[in-house]
Amino acid sequence: MKTNRLKFLSAIFILMAVILCPTTMNAQDAKQKVAVVVSTLNNPWFVVLANTAKDRAVELGYDATIFDSQNDTAKEAANFENIIAGGYKAILFNPTDAKGSIANVEKAKAAGIPVFCIDREIDSTNAATCQMLSDSYSGCVKLGQYFVKTVGTEGEYAELLGILGDNNTWNRSKGFHSVVDRYPGLKCVVKQSGEFDRAKGLEVMESILQAHPNIKAVFCGNDAMAMGAYQALVSAGKADSVKVFGFDGADDVVKSIADGKIVATGMQFPKLMARKSAEFADEYIKGKRDFPQKLPVPVELVTKENVGKYGDYGKK
Amino acid sequence: MCAARWLIAIAICAVIGWMFPLFHVVPLKTAVAEQAAARFDATTFAQSFWPDKLLPQGQKAVSAEVLLAAIQAGPAYAKTNYSRSVGLSENYFYFLQGRGKVVSVSDDTVGIAVTPDSTNVEIALQTGLIFGDAIRDGTGLVNSSDYPNSQDFNDISAALNHIVESKILPDLRQQAKIGTTLSFAGCAEVDDESTDLHPLKVTPIESKSE
Repeated sequence: MKTNRLKFLSAIFILMAVILCPTTMNAQDAKQKVAVVVSTLNNPWFVVLANTAKDRAVELGYDATIFDSQNDTAKEAANFENIIAGGYKAILFNPTDAKGSIANVEKAKAAGIPVFCIDREIDSTNAATCQMLSDSYSGCVKLGQYFVKTVGTEGEYAELLGILGDNNTWNRSKGFHSVVDRYPGLKCVVKQSGEFDRAKGLEVMESILQAHPNIKAVFCGNDAMAMGAYQALVSAGKADSVKVFGFDGADDVVKSIADGKIVATGMQFPKLMARKSAEFADEYIKGKRDFPQKLPVPVELVTKENVGKYGDYGKK
Repeated sequence: MCAARWLIAIAICAVIGWMFPLFHVVPLKTAVAEQAAARFDATTFAQSFWPDKLLPQGQKAVSAEVLLAAIQAGPAYAKTNYSRSVGLSENYFYFLQGRGKVVSVSDDTVGIAVTPDSTNVEIALQTGLIFGDAIRDGTGLVNSSDYPNSQDFNDISAALNHIVESKILPDLRQQAKIGTTLSFAGCAEVDDESTDLHPLKVTPIESKSE
């Protein structure tokens, strides 16, 4: 009787092992999740940034998902809530607001999820694990020097600023003005936000051209606005007389520089930053903890003289 | 009796409210002044950084003669042994000091021959408008990770460049007479390995005629 019971129990045990074993193996095989949170997917540059980060994370063996914050800190906060609840192991983060995004990063940190900022900064040195930031200031110093070289040292010009809450907006503007303001003959007659958006850049440029018909050039805080501004200039029949300067290194602007439509841009290397952030996240998950808080990424000046060296959001 | 209880309760609430106020009323002027005091002031930082940290470090910078010999041996060799770079940058910086003879003077450079008996401009001290981050990043004394807002970090560059233009260059222009021997310290920024380093363009932080 006892032997039968033992046999019966053994059979049950083996049966359970057979049933449970594949489940356990599935759980072991399940990939760890990495989130890519991007400020907006309404700009091709950020689409490249997000897709490259996602692709690299997938290459490294993770299940990666992109979350679009649509330039809205409330949506960004909701994304972080979902990510924390969803058991993600790391966040590759392009913030919407230097100050407004800090709380989200702190929430993730409190939940034990490392955050790697890409391209845009948060005003904190202890919330994110690492912030990989384009050196916008230095890039715009170079752009400012080229502006003076090509526009000259006299004349009126306009400036299209990006999102006012983003540090990149001001780093670019300050870098540019650190050079151009040294030439008193160059007068910035209007400075207006185009919110880093092509349609908004077009709209703002149209109104600028009506109020300031004598401008010789426009400096745009990113390439999307530069394309919008160029479109407005074409419509106004001024594409040949007003020089357009952008910043980002977007593919359509690099092509426009080659075609002589736009004068220059600053190449930011979004693919380099995105790939590196995924690699850092992988290293973190595997145990590394020593990361630089802020890691500057160079920006290179792209002009008609060297445009052949650039394309596909980086150096060829 | 009931009124007394109410009075006691109100008194307790008042004491708690006084000891642990929910908010403070501060005159607007004071609040603005406090905010301004908390804000990072790059000019003040640069003014103390210059004599306290930068100049003493200049004495320890690589000798110009050694660096030029290394560049002569190969830019890659010089880069490996004597440069520093920031983040993922391809560009890099040299922090150097030395002495040499003034062999040329123009509106925006003072040409120095460092190698004995040389008459070639080996170091071009920049004396025009100063832009960029050569001094901030070339020394390794200022780290971006210490600044929550990168605008503050970038303001340091502008403030240091302003000191060069307003305090260092006027003296240097006066000292720079052909044939004079100058001692100097400064930083050079190199874009990449294709950059022409003959002469090496140096933003001066110090110069003395001998």
